[in-house]
Amino acid sequence: MNRQMLSTIGAETGAGLLQAVRSPEFVLPTLALPVAFYLLFGIVLSPGSGERAAYLLATYGIFAVMGPAIFGFGAGVANERERGWLNIRRVAPVPAWGFVLARLLVTVVFGVLALIPIYAVAGFVGDVALPRQTWFLLAATHLLAVVPFSLAGLTLGFLFSASAAVAVANLVFLFFAVLGGLWLPAALFPEFLQAVARAMPSYHLAEVSLSVVDSGQAREPLTHLAIVAVMTAAFAAAAIAAWKRQENR
Amino acid sequence: MVYTANPEMAISTRGLRKSYGAVEALRGVNLDVPRGEICAVLGRNGAGKTTLISAALGLTEPSAGSVSVLGRAAGSLAARRSTGAMLQDADLPDLLTAREHLTFFASCFASPADVDTLIQRTQIGDFSDKRYKALSGGQKRRVQFAVALVGKPDLLFLDEPTTGLDQDARRAVWGRVRELADAGKTIVLTTHYLEEADALADRIVVLAGGRVIADGSASAIRQHIGGALIACETNVDETAARALPAVRSAQTRGRLLTLLSDDAASTLAALLRDDPALKELSVSKPSLEEAVAALTTEGSTGGELAPSENPRAVAGGQE
Repeated sequence: MNRQMLSTIGAETGAGLLQAVRSPEFVLPTLALPVAFYLLFGIVLSPGSGERAAYLLATYGIFAVMGPAIFGFGAGVANERERGWLNIRRVAPVPAWGFVLARLLVTVVFGVLALIPIYAVAGFVGDVALPRQTWFLLAATHLLAVVPFSLAGLTLGFLFSASAAVAVANLVFLFFAVLGGLWLPAALFPEFLQAVARAMPSYHLAEVSLSVVDSGQAREPLTHLAIVAVMTAAFAAAAIAAWKRQENR
Repeated sequence: MVYTANPEMAISTRGLRKSYGAVEALRGVNLDVPRGEICAVLGRNGAGKTTLISAALGLTEPSAGSVSVLGRAAGSLAARRSTGAMLQDADLPDLLTAREHLTFFASCFASPADVDTLIQRTQIGDFSDKRYKALSGGQKRRVQFAVALVGKPDLLFLDEPTTGLDQDARRAVWGRVRELADAGKTIVLTTHYLEEADALADRIVVLAGGRVIADGSASAIRQHIGGALIACETNVDETAARALPAVRSAQTRGRLLTLLSDDAASTLAALLRDDPALKELSVSKPSLEEAVAALTTEGSTGGELAPSENPRAVAGGQE
């Protein structure tokens, strides 16, 4: 990557963050919802149980980064495409992946902003005590989730009109959250729902982050990580196909 | 992809076709725009103007044929480095200011225009620090014009650049376009304002039904049309009027029937015979607007459609 490209990606990331700062009515709910849910289900409704608070910290962290990724890419890209901004952007001499990377960086920043209050609530209110390197490993796992969800969102953004994309993104968001076992552990699901859960990227990401916080139980983080990698590649292929499809319309 | 790389030409297309499902937007366009020219592409809505520009920008993949820009494949990074564009129906993000938009686009080019100078030259300083959302339609258009110039392009596409602009703003854009042409840049513009094409363009390309049906200077196109324009209020309908002697085309505009005639005297004689009570009669030389309307009417009715391989070349020397 040359310096030119770096400066473009830097400028576009900056512009994306600036726009976010200027639309708090969209940004604040996205950031507040996960921590509010965690506070309710992870702390208030499971008093005195540090173990449960730690378990739900792992899954709600995935939930927290999923919102900015699916909505930012899904609804955001659909809107920009519909307004013709994407075409203006495509005329500029920057490869398409630059645009995706800049947006990904913006989403990572959002992911961090969504995670900080959850970690704070877990540590200070929920009495979740983890070694320092575990906190960092957990954060890395949670932020890694930005990539598959962003690619899934990007696919939606190319396939649906701006108004439809919001509705579909909501649906996908809820499916991934509930059926992936981010709100309630998938282990409590009936058998057939557990099968559904295994088809969700959120489930495998949750398993990876659970293995980070909870080393006592036998999990297979590498298997789940491999499944996440396959699903990410599938979302990337879908996003590229959807991109090509709308380019020729 | 096969394309004719001719570095002498700002744009070169060969047999360019584009279909959207069953709709053929371009049906075999051969067009060469030499560097340094201001070329206006005219035609009705749906004639293929925007599709032609999209293909030249690489925004849409041709179904057949080729298009090259400045000797490079349309849409390639190399072509985009020397190209600027003001698109139709394309908005910038609402929450950034014009200055922020220009600064972002400047970051995409190796040696961009200075943002402050550009703001001054395009006369958008009064609103360059307001959010895009808060601007009027005309102001937004002018910001898009400035954005198209950030990369100091050799080739500039302007798709309906002055739609929604008031007279002063329109003249400001025209002035800037002339300056750019004087500096050797190539400008390709589409417009609904024939006055604009007349005032700016060295060359006019008329599209109808996805084909080039006329290509030449404004005066050549006017001359080529020749004839006389007859307008009147009459009970003779369009179809009957087309059957009158020497009538090339007929159109109803409001209450008036408008005829383009190769021989006003014989047409008038027949018209008066059919409807002696006709009113509001006028006979005039066609303006560029009427010339183009007449051309595109012929083209869209399909009667005298020029084959795509041999567009009606009306410029001197191409005849």
